[in-house]
Amino acid sequence: MRNSVNRPPTPDAAEDLGKEPMFQEIINIKLIESGEKERLMELLRERLIECGWKDEMKALCRAFIKKKGRNDVTVDDLVRVITPKGRASIPDYIKAELLQRIRAYLVQAAV
Amino acid sequence: MSGPNDDNMSPHTQLSSHFFGDLLDSIIVDVASECHRIAKLGLDRNLEEEEEELRLSTQARVRAADPSNSGEANSKYVVDIFGQTHPPVANEIFECMNCGRSIMAGRFAPHLEKCMGKGRKARLKATRSSTAAQNRYSRGSPVSTYSPYSNSSSTNRLSNGTPGVAGEEYSNGTLEEP
Repeated sequence: MRNSVNRPPTPDAAEDLGKEPMFQEIINIKLIESGEKERLMELLRERLIECGWKDEMKALCRAFIKKKGRNDVTVDDLVRVITPKGRASIPDYIKAELLQRIRAYLVQAAV
Repeated sequence: MSGPNDDNMSPHTQLSSHFFGDLLDSIIVDVASECHRIAKLGLDRNLEEEEEELRLSTQARVRAADPSNSGEANSKYVVDIFGQTHPPVANEIFECMNCGRSIMAGRFAPHLEKCMGKGRKARLKATRSSTAAQNRYSRGSPVSTYSPYSNSSSTNRLSNGTPGVAGEEYSNGTLEEP
């Protein structure tokens, strides 16, 4: 592995690799610095708007706000409201496309 | 780290999922933040309270447009959408810059007409002051007895025989049309 950053010794099992927080951090930094993370985020945002996912989430938020009253609502509330449904209702083709792009990046970054 | 490809698939998959989740979380926070902002700023017209306001404003608009509610006819004062009342005639008092009299604001325009000279009588006032000097020299009669309004004495005093246009006197025979 040709990275020059100091990191703790790799565990023997290759499958554990993805779980090391330090390792993930390094990849994350690479993603950000290369600009790929921003591109991926824009792509995902665009796809989610096209398929109506964002509108669904906004409707959930509005319903919650109506119930709770708009003066009491916090951003945390809303995040908590839409996260479970949000994660579950991503269309498969979008998920596939993004995963594919990420994997391609990881390959060419030679991790 | 640089093992055969199939060894890297599994961690790659995990890693990819991890980063995908990361992206998704960021986007979720963005959406939540946006909705939060819209709610707090009251930009969302669909919330219940906005519906209430909307209903009230349409009611008020209907009441205002209703001809039977014409404010000046029925009640002295109309109430506008801010709850203010205005008298039908503006009643602030100030000084006319032409004649120096105290005038009510709502009556200022008609006053100016008379005062500055759109009307016949107002023009008389103007010509009187400009011809006053001429009168004094040509007639020898005291200006103070001169009346700009129509009366038989003024026509009698016309020396040039021009038909007495009531109320107007000329020292030089030029006829000013009212």
